[in-house]
Amino acid sequence: MKHMETEAPPTGQSPPDVSQVDITLTVNGTAHRLEIDSRVTLLDALRDHLGLTGAKKGCDQGACGACTVLVDGKRVVSCLALAAQYEDREITTVESLCPSGELHPMQEAFARHDAFQCGYCTPGQIMSAVSLIAEGRANSEEEIREFMSGNICRCGAYPNIRAAIRDVAAGG
Amino acid sequence: MTTLETGTVVGAGLDRVDAPLKVTGSAQYPNDFSLTGMVHAALVGSTIAAGRIRSIDVTRAWAAPGVLAVVTHLNAPKLERGPMTLLGGSPPAPLQDDRILHYGQHIGIVVAESAEQARHAARLVRVEYEPAEALLDVNDPRAEIVENPWGLDTERGDVTAGFARADVVVDEAYTTPDNTNNPLGLMATVASWHGDSLTVHDSTQWPHNVRTSLAGIFKVPESGVRVLAPFVGGGFGAGLRVWSHVILTVLAAREVGRPVKLVLTRPEMFTSVGHRPNSVQQIKIGATRDGDLVAIEHHGISSVAMEDDDYEPVSYCSALGYACPNVLTRDRQARLNIPCPGSMRAPAEGQGNFALESALDEVAHAIGMDPLEIRLRNYAEEHPILGLPWSSKALRECFTEGAERFGWSRRTPEPGSMRDGRWLVGYGLAGVSYPFYQVPCQARASVRHDGSAYVRSAATDIGTGTYTVMTQLAAELLGVDVARVRFDLGDSDMPYAPQAGGSGLTGALGNAVHAACRRLVREFLDVVRDDTESPLHGAALDDVTVTDGRIHRIGDPAQGETYTEILTRHGLEELSADGRSTPPQSEELGMALSGAFGAKFVEVRLDPELGLLRVARVVSAIDGGRILNEKTATSQIIGGTVGGISQAMFEETATDQVTGRIANATFGDYLMPVNADVPDMEVLFVGGPDRATAVGTKGVGEVGLVGLAAAIGNAVFHATGRRIRSLPITIDRLML
Repeated sequence: MKHMETEAPPTGQSPPDVSQVDITLTVNGTAHRLEIDSRVTLLDALRDHLGLTGAKKGCDQGACGACTVLVDGKRVVSCLALAAQYEDREITTVESLCPSGELHPMQEAFARHDAFQCGYCTPGQIMSAVSLIAEGRANSEEEIREFMSGNICRCGAYPNIRAAIRDVAAGG
Repeated sequence: MTTLETGTVVGAGLDRVDAPLKVTGSAQYPNDFSLTGMVHAALVGSTIAAGRIRSIDVTRAWAAPGVLAVVTHLNAPKLERGPMTLLGGSPPAPLQDDRILHYGQHIGIVVAESAEQARHAARLVRVEYEPAEALLDVNDPRAEIVENPWGLDTERGDVTAGFARADVVVDEAYTTPDNTNNPLGLMATVASWHGDSLTVHDSTQWPHNVRTSLAGIFKVPESGVRVLAPFVGGGFGAGLRVWSHVILTVLAAREVGRPVKLVLTRPEMFTSVGHRPNSVQQIKIGATRDGDLVAIEHHGISSVAMEDDDYEPVSYCSALGYACPNVLTRDRQARLNIPCPGSMRAPAEGQGNFALESALDEVAHAIGMDPLEIRLRNYAEEHPILGLPWSSKALRECFTEGAERFGWSRRTPEPGSMRDGRWLVGYGLAGVSYPFYQVPCQARASVRHDGSAYVRSAATDIGTGTYTVMTQLAAELLGVDVARVRFDLGDSDMPYAPQAGGSGLTGALGNAVHAACRRLVREFLDVVRDDTESPLHGAALDDVTVTDGRIHRIGDPAQGETYTEILTRHGLEELSADGRSTPPQSEELGMALSGAFGAKFVEVRLDPELGLLRVARVVSAIDGGRILNEKTATSQIIGGTVGGISQAMFEETATDQVTGRIANATFGDYLMPVNADVPDMEVLFVGGPDRATAVGTKGVGEVGLVGLAAAIGNAVFHATGRRIRSLPITIDRLML
């Protein structure tokens, strides 16, 4: 990361309170160079600067999970992460799950079990669900319930979300 | 009226047609749109609840990097208030004077090149206030009271005489708190002007209302305003109105001459887009020893904003629910310095049903009758207000089949009599009679040369499954494979559709799609009327049916031809037809129009030492009329049930009674159920198509929520002998 020289403010204006940073983010295997405001969150970098709008903003306070992405394989709420701190990390978003257009088994299971309604929390739920299985934490109903509790679904599709995850965990 | 013939497509549990877009993250919600040259806005909210702005200093905000505009009441143009709508008046226009009516009132908007810059600059706006004492308590005697705000107060029989002959009278106060809709999608507006033309991406449940309102407010032709909402991140009522932030974003875009995006923050979602207002309800029920209801009196008071309207007839459910000869219902509103309340999933019903169905449980306990029996004993065979037969009612089956599935007969009547280890076990139930609602709607259907169908209407799918069920319906009505039907919505340039609200859209839109598809088949028949090459020439609509992309004579599949054959022979690219639906009328039909009915059965488990309360099981038996898609309809009921559990045990918007600030306006503090809080649940659909409309649906978006609060409260009483009359039923209320 490199702090950039800030231009002198025009006369009469107060100096900028923040600086621009020059960073490289590796998202879904591709490196992207970004010159951004140092305050930009990882979520906003993905959405507003890289056009990856799959991750959603539901609270911007790390409490709803709609912005869940994977960083080096671990679930992260990207609204609480500053983009500038995520150089040299592998960031994985929902857009990576079906590169050839064929749905990932978890995506298929979500569709089959109607595990969403408005769909807004769904990318975050699916990233959590995929990670849950990778973490070995989808071994029981109780585990699924507990470790999916960081992802709020206001439409209330929880039973169907569990059914989808059970299905995939069982190799369905 | 031609009633929809049942085929194989309607009713089937088809996966959502928009599922691939949603599971891949490629469905575009309003805040996913970015336009060339777009800049960003942030709001300034008041930090007092009542008074005036003495001074507002925007110098530092203006000087901050990237700032393009700062608009306050000092430099805002005069804006008209939006129009009267189906749902009442529009919210007040923002920035019209220096008065503060509630905490968080939008008193400015800042536009900057980036969202970070806009948010930063918004914090630099310095405001000095002249505060006044805020009215914040619904019981405050100084509050202005609006009597009978909707003309829905009812009175039948003579309640005084009824109570006089009651053996048992229950007379109790029930209270419900403010709840905040909190759809997960932060509501967003992206506004872009081109001369007098305006394009708006908006988190709305009603694109036409946004179009009409913005055209009126900004004095531009309605035809030049286009509102888009192909996907909305939930609504639960929050997207029914054209709120201040939408108007401000459009204003800001005009000020800076560039597209502007505004995304509400989660705390702003608590003060900007409505909420379910609190209520205090006094309910009095009289019954004979045999369990006959002889009188019900239900008084409700809700809070409402100082200069806005909200529809919350909380007591009305007591007039509709049971066959009681003497009923009086009264509603009032208290004007307070609070953000505008608005519809939240099952407005009024969610609050009123809690009082009615809990008090009925109290009556049953007082006379030693099973709570199920008292409801069946007072079953309203006719509409209790109109005295007409229902257009459909299978509430009895909801009760009996739901009880069977739940195992209600295993319940031992004495409170505290059922245990499982350390857990006290309680069974509770509640009934729901949801009011009918439908308003006019239009749709347009086309069949193209390749035999595919395209149907559209300016409706929204807020998660309800509208895309999917309308695709199925059109496929059935046109006899076209469901994969070859495209149903589009969420664009105000499409035919008029009403709001996704009041559990009324599926009925209104379904019947409009029905009309459009029937008319379209007739258009094809008109084309071949004198075409002797067609096996269909001279056929009338009632002579034919449709299947496999063909129209053929009823009873003789050989006598027909495909849409493509007709279009080809006549050199046509496509044929289109418009359809509209109007609500049925009780008087014409001689039937009372029926909404959905439901019975909710709940098992709770309570740890008496820790006060832990868990919902262990829920069975919801629902009469939703014709079910267009069992999978998505079941999801509506499951989701509603989660909302009901949430209302019962979690949600309470806490307003600081000194400042009027909402003290828990974050997802960390405002409790809602997460995955671990929600059990698996069963949903049964009973009954059949409603007789009042061709399609015969009854909306299922809200009936799922109603009754859970009472059923859970009743189950808690059964588990513990303690009656909790204030929501939510939280550990502190259980342990005190």
